[in-house]
Amino acid sequence: MNQPHENEPHHQLSHPEQFVFTPPIDIYETDEGLVLYADLPGVSVGSLELQVQDNKLTLLGKVEPQIPEGARPIHKEYEVGNYLRSFILSGEIVHSEIEAKLTNGVLRIFLPKAPKAEPRRIQVNTG
Amino acid sequence: MPIFRWDQSWNPLRDLEREVDRLIQGVEFSVQGIRMPRQYPAVNIFELEHEFLITAELPGMEVEDLELTIANSVLTLKGHRNSPVAENENIPEERFRRRERTFGEWQRSISIPDRISDEQLSAEFNDGVLKIHLPKLEEELPRQIPVSSGE
Repeated sequence: MNQPHENEPHHQLSHPEQFVFTPPIDIYETDEGLVLYADLPGVSVGSLELQVQDNKLTLLGKVEPQIPEGARPIHKEYEVGNYLRSFILSGEIVHSEIEAKLTNGVLRIFLPKAPKAEPRRIQVNTG
Repeated sequence: MPIFRWDQSWNPLRDLEREVDRLIQGVEFSVQGIRMPRQYPAVNIFELEHEFLITAELPGMEVEDLELTIANSVLTLKGHRNSPVAENENIPEERFRRRERTFGEWQRSISIPDRISDEQLSAEFNDGVLKIHLPKLEEELPRQIPVSSGE
């Protein structure tokens, strides 16, 4: 197995236990558009916000710790926090047809490209 | 039995204090390979009044691809994370603009305390997060030891 992407917290919020992480992603291109996968463990459909504004796609996944009250951590290898990542979309992406699906903590976003217009011959008349 | 680090900082005195603390409580966890960097999956272990709780982030896993076994006080987590891209969509490498996620076989072993009820061990998997509940055995009631006089 190749090495996992390390989720390093890049911003600490007011609460000492809360972090915002940059989730690892895959992006690949097909003839129809771009496909984006993001690992968001702990995020559910109800706690995920996807927003497109001015060619910027932002995903915010909120994660609740889900650890019972009074639980005493005795061994800790990872922190729990929200996920935030933004992308600049190219002009050929059709914003109104973006599709997203969240399964087992993995988000798949399909960003369709507008079909290219067929070249049109322009009649040139002689003077 | 190897003792895991409590945090990244090396503080022998604090480790010793905590080790003594654990010995007093009769609880010892050790995670195989913990000294090796970037083990997959990362695990957190918590103690509650009646159980221990182990959590691991495993996004993209399916329940049927997860295997948990317990033998000789060692809990083994094993699995295979399939890449939907590589196996179903057959996308050539040059089509990728970013590739940060990981796939493949993984395995971790965790030594657990003797005071765990193996039969009542349970696990749940939601939103890519695995939680393993390890109930503690009922403590034996304190037993009075009669003291006779030397007469």
